[in-house]
Amino acid sequence: MNTAGKALLATGVATAVAVARRRRRASHDDTSERWLAVTVNRAPEEVQSSMPDDLARWHDQVEISVRPATGDKGTEIRVKSTGEVPAHELRLALRRAKSVLEAGEVVRPDTAPTHPGPMGKALQLVTNRAGGGGRL
Amino acid sequence: MKALCWEGINDVRVQDVPDPQLLNDQDMILKVRLSTVCGSDLHLLTGHIPFMQAGDVIGHEFMGEVVEVGSGVTKHRPGDRVVVCSFIVCGRCWYCRNELYSLCDNTNTNPAITQHLWGADPGGIFGYSHAMGGFRGSHAEYVRVPFADHTAIPIPEAVDDMSALFASDSAPTGWMGADLGGVKQGDVVAVWGSGAVGQMAARAAQLLGAERVLVIDRFDYRLRQAELAFGVETINYAETSVGDALLEATGGRGPDVCIEAVGCEAHSTGPQYVYDQVKSKLKLEMDRPIAVREAIYNCRKGGSVFVLGVFTGVVDKFPLGALMNKGLTVRGAQQHGQRYIPMLLDRIASGELTTSHLATHVMPLSEGARGYELFKKKEDDCLRSVFRL
Ligand SMILES: NC(=O)c1ccc[n+]([C@@H]2O[C@H](COP(=O)([O-])OP(=O)(O)OC[C@H]3O[C@@H](n4cnc5c(N)ncnc54)[C@H](O)[C@@H]3O)[C@@H](O)[C@H]2O)c1
Ligand SMILES: [Zn+2]
Ligand SMILES: [Zn+2]
Repeated sequence: MNTAGKALLATGVATAVAVARRRRRASHDDTSERWLAVTVNRAPEEVQSSMPDDLARWHDQVEISVRPATGDKGTEIRVKSTGEVPAHELRLALRRAKSVLEAGEVVRPDTAPTHPGPMGKALQLVTNRAGGGGRL
Repeated sequence: MKALCWEGINDVRVQDVPDPQLLNDQDMILKVRLSTVCGSDLHLLTGHIPFMQAGDVIGHEFMGEVVEVGSGVTKHRPGDRVVVCSFIVCGRCWYCRNELYSLCDNTNTNPAITQHLWGADPGGIFGYSHAMGGFRGSHAEYVRVPFADHTAIPIPEAVDDMSALFASDSAPTGWMGADLGGVKQGDVVAVWGSGAVGQMAARAAQLLGAERVLVIDRFDYRLRQAELAFGVETINYAETSVGDALLEATGGRGPDVCIEAVGCEAHSTGPQYVYDQVKSKLKLEMDRPIAVREAIYNCRKGGSVFVLGVFTGVVDKFPLGALMNKGLTVRGAQQHGQRYIPMLLDRIASGELTTSHLATHVMPLSEGARGYELFKKKEDDCLRSVFRL
């Protein structure tokens, strides 16, 4: 591989590591610091009456608030841990609940390639748990 | 099954991979008939989008025949001929309901990567890296299509396979550039890049009422093709000053709408090319926005610039002063395909829009590596290599 190629791969790995690091930090300190929220393109009554299991199952360990979004944007579901629920679990639950409410199912990822290579393995570390990461 | 896989930088190979399965109720399995290379793939090949794993199936512009549908699919049946948009969309989130399909909230299975990189995650794309969902691509005998009712569109009888193929990605992308760029009756429109996307943008501008359309590139065969197919005017930037030519064509005003269809690996004849290349190699700059700079500089006061070319990160020397002081509107987007594809298929059927001339090199998938080589190096007058499965 040429030098440019190596430099590009290095960027990818650096980004992957940064994402992983941020998540590690996140799972330590923001378990219950702030509300995590998604906006669902459904009416508040519909969201209230059909809260998906993904979120409902945490009901005794989280505070859940449901309120109309501004404009025509649907309903905001916000959760905050009152116990020890890690933030990445809540992010995952919010994303899954939103997809179920809006689209009826959660898209399953395609199977990963069999020989991802060193860079691919670093990426897999991130993507395996990426559903629970991010800025949400 | 056989599939064309990314195996490393500038290394694609046909491999045996497992057949796709229905994983969700709203999935279907498509038997691919035609799948084409796209300029966006070049950004994967060169490593500009460093979120690939060896063995990833690439390809995202395709059409084929439905062979299996999940229990939640209502619009498609086995045997149907469909064109599949490069973007996977749920059809029901706020973005989909507002026809901003490439921003779908529910289709990127790895949202964390782009949320950190860009602040929020766009939708998932076929064969376009793990940052965009890690979905398997279409350069394969079969492909799984999630949310099939919304992601795939039936092809009318009157449209042949090859014409329909380009309604997947290049035609809707070009149309979006002209539409959201705000092309109006009587406008002068300049398009940077005479690839499939630029040519489709040029044709869209004509159909939306532009009085003059000028296409800019350095490959004469590509300019000639655009001229022959659509009667546009052309500028070869390797021979002519683009700024001078545009001023001359517009009575000194500059184009009303400028559409950039080049992307992050833009080439230039001037010293800024070397500067950008060195910087991007040293990772001080991720993308080379040469055509974007030129479009902003040459656009008329109060005009509009639409960025169709793909960029991934930060750029350097962005002409913010020109944007602000000339009162420009600058917009960009990944294609909102589902918004345009049915209309484009109708226009293809009526003969208003021709697309099949884009397929200059048709070959079996086994020649995939050669197809990319021709396309990447712009050899043998290649505009698009198309794989027939
Ligand atoms: N927004 C979207 O959803 C979307 C969809 C498809 C493709 N794209 C992007 O559109 C771009 C074009 O795709 P394509 O398939 O037509 O690619 P292509 O490689 O066939 O065409 C690009 C053309 O730009 C020309 N070019 C390079 N530097 C130039 C410059 N400085 N000025 C003018 N022309 C220049 C090249 O010579 C080439 O002919 C790519 O960046 C691709 O990633 C975006
Ligand atoms: Zn494309
Ligand atoms: Zn959606």
